[in-house]
Amino acid sequence: MTISVWRYSHLALAVSSFLLLALASITGVILAFEPVSQKIQPYRAANFDELTLAQTLPVLKKNYAEISELSVDANQFVQIKGSDADGKSLTVYVDPQTGKILGTPARQSEFFQWVTALHRSLFLHEAGRFFVGLTAFLLLLITVSGTMLILQRQRGVKRFFTRIVRDNFAQYYHVVLGRLSLVPILIVALSGTYLSLARFELIKTEKISPDIDFDAIQSRPERKLADFTVFQNTRLSEVQSIEFPFSEDPEDYYTLKLSDREMAVNQITGDILSEVRYPTAVLLTTLSLNLHTGRTSAVWAIILAVAAGNILFFIYSGFAITWKRRGNRVKNKYSADDSRFIILVGSENGSTFRFAQAIHQQLIRQGEKSFLTELNNYTVFPKAEYLIALTATYGLGDAPTNARRFATLVEKHPQPHPVRYSVLGFGSHAYPDFCKFAFEVNQLLAGQKWAVPLVDVHTINDKSPDDFSLWAEAWSQQADILITASSEHLKTPEHPLEALTVTGITQTAQTDGTFLIRLQPKHNLNVTSGDLLAIYPQNDHRERLYSIGVLDNELQLSVRLHPDGLGSGFLHRLTSGDTIQARIIDNGHFHFPQKAPVVVMISNGTGIAPFLGMISQNNPRTPCHLYCGFRQRASLEIYQRFLDESKSDRKLTDLHVAFSREDKKQYVSDLIARDADFIMEVLNTNGVLMICGSLAMQKDVLELLGTTCQTKLGKSLSVYQSHGQILMDCY
Amino acid sequence: MKSFWNKISVVVMALSLAITTSSFAQQPGTTSYKCMIQMTNYMGEGAYIVISLINGKGAYEKTLYVLGSDKKWYPDVKEWHKAMAKKTPNISAITGASVAGGDRSVTVLEIDNSKLNKDYKIRFESAVEDKQYHVKDLEIPLTTEALSAKNEGTGYIRYVRFSPN
Repeated sequence: MTISVWRYSHLALAVSSFLLLALASITGVILAFEPVSQKIQPYRAANFDELTLAQTLPVLKKNYAEISELSVDANQFVQIKGSDADGKSLTVYVDPQTGKILGTPARQSEFFQWVTALHRSLFLHEAGRFFVGLTAFLLLLITVSGTMLILQRQRGVKRFFTRIVRDNFAQYYHVVLGRLSLVPILIVALSGTYLSLARFELIKTEKISPDIDFDAIQSRPERKLADFTVFQNTRLSEVQSIEFPFSEDPEDYYTLKLSDREMAVNQITGDILSEVRYPTAVLLTTLSLNLHTGRTSAVWAIILAVAAGNILFFIYSGFAITWKRRGNRVKNKYSADDSRFIILVGSENGSTFRFAQAIHQQLIRQGEKSFLTELNNYTVFPKAEYLIALTATYGLGDAPTNARRFATLVEKHPQPHPVRYSVLGFGSHAYPDFCKFAFEVNQLLAGQKWAVPLVDVHTINDKSPDDFSLWAEAWSQQADILITASSEHLKTPEHPLEALTVTGITQTAQTDGTFLIRLQPKHNLNVTSGDLLAIYPQNDHRERLYSIGVLDNELQLSVRLHPDGLGSGFLHRLTSGDTIQARIIDNGHFHFPQKAPVVVMISNGTGIAPFLGMISQNNPRTPCHLYCGFRQRASLEIYQRFLDESKSDRKLTDLHVAFSREDKKQYVSDLIARDADFIMEVLNTNGVLMICGSLAMQKDVLELLGTTCQTKLGKSLSVYQSHGQILMDCY
Repeated sequence: MKSFWNKISVVVMALSLAITTSSFAQQPGTTSYKCMIQMTNYMGEGAYIVISLINGKGAYEKTLYVLGSDKKWYPDVKEWHKAMAKKTPNISAITGASVAGGDRSVTVLEIDNSKLNKDYKIRFESAVEDKQYHVKDLEIPLTTEALSAKNEGTGYIRYVRFSPN
């Protein structure tokens, strides 16, 4: 729940305050230039920081007939009010060292006065001040909720400043700039809120005047100003203002208003008559003013201007994001009860919806009844035949907000008919727990009686169109409905085809019809065992995919001849010397791991094909355990010699074979169950499991692994899947 | 050499005489008073204070000083604004900054000698944004006696003191 609470409050706060916030930001940017424009004036004494009152006051007293007040402003300009020798009143900036007049303070410009009033009170006096104060407080809450959202997005405090995945311009810069201007905005919001609270007297900032015992005032010994200890110890930089004695009467005194206290000083003896420290609330008010206005530092003022400008950008980009997300809202043409295709989406910020929409639109255009909804809306779909779940992962491998109830709902609403499902995970390798929730959804569906896997769980890294088209091709082939990566290209995708020459083809094994075919590419190709070969038996959009094993620089496919198989029949008719046109699809997620300490290969039937290539190329001699299942002993024959050689060559560590129709009538999953302790040890020591073969086998193996992981390692299988320790390529 | 010094001293005397006479000539029959306003420790914005000369009938005669420079707030000083705001030419010459709680302000008032010890009063009228308005925060008779005493205010002003400038 927490995620959506932060997101909704972030949005709700922004919506309720954006008009005033925009106004405050624009005026804020303008006002930041007031201190900057003041600071460039040449009224600050060079060695201001070193001067004491004992050095300054006698000089000023000598130069001016009468001084009633000296004040030091935020720019450290020293200003005196008094009169000159002719009795004419003066208000001037002076050099505190020489007493020379430096200039006359200008009145606050009408423009800045106007903007300040707008910024503070919208020209609405008390009501305006209240709304502006409220806006500052809302900004504070927006900042806090925004910070929580970044923490969730980045998965933890430590990763706060790590890379951000780029979805689109508005989202990316909303987060990037949000992180950068977080601190200044937080300070602006906090100080603004504080100043408003002080203004409405919710924080008491009353000053206490020094209490003076007039009976105790001494008029002796008379000292010179320069000899007053208190003046010698007080630097001009600590001074806010000094009120000079109104007359020469000993009962009139100096009032020193310093940055943290107020003092009354006897004008004859220099005794401290009274000293009062300001309450913390007053000091905080001064600090808030300094921080909120930037009046003490031009650099800070500019930072504030930039931060205020960023707020304007956040308003724009925030609404752009919201708009986009709302745009993903689904309008279904067909009802859930009528549809043959059900597309379920789990998405936190809406980007996954665009992929779902692409699939949905293509199905509709081909006259299919398709229904698109959130994973949380899962229910009984009476006419469903296909189910596609597309989901992102949020936080630390958690479900996105609109998919949180999915697990409960699946248990609650079993489908009445078998439904062929496919899970598509969206994520980024920039985060740990890559596509973890998608693996969980897959695991969950795999455990349902009604659920029939159509294609393997696929993952899409950083919205890669290539990853998506890999899934689209696999799915299209199984469902016999064409889905392409981009909805604009419904025709045959034009990929560069490679010419391959057949160099060898074995006879089909007696009973199960398996045969091996070897192909030699014309050109040197960048191909790795585990990649896929797409062939076009009829030279049309119909594509068939085969897993490639690379042996001796040739591509070896292991194919089972189906009675009316389009692809297998086509390949089976080939003879040595024939040339075919085909395409190699990079299938990076199913390459032999480069760093694994140990690899366990699990296959059934022709799923052994990529493993044969991997074993033959296992020159580093990575410990390699092959578990494979066949129908009969005869099916193994065509591989037997190669496997024996590899074993004696130490490219293959161990071989375990199960025959489903002979001997003990075992499946490969039975071998895994037998060696469960070993398999768990492999996972626990960062070893990698590779699974290739039929989806039915995959389902059995995953179910088995799921329960053993939970009982023996106390972790969910999806943890290992999301960390790339379980690689799968099934069909 | 001696004659040179004589000449110099004559010139200096003449000059100083000229300065003195000219400064008197500028203000015939008026006296400057330093006026110190000490504020109470009220909380809120800076107070706008108008110092006016009031005649025997209780009517505004002249604006002596305005503390507070933003004309936008002048209507808050109600009675004065009604009577005098538009009748005071060159108001900026007798305008200073508003005064915040706990602060003090020293201004110089020019007072017509002929009005002294007659039936005139000096009124201190004060207003603070969104707070109470005091038409007579302090009103004192324009007498030699009152100008030498410490006069307590009733609103934002704690007290007012005068001294000849």
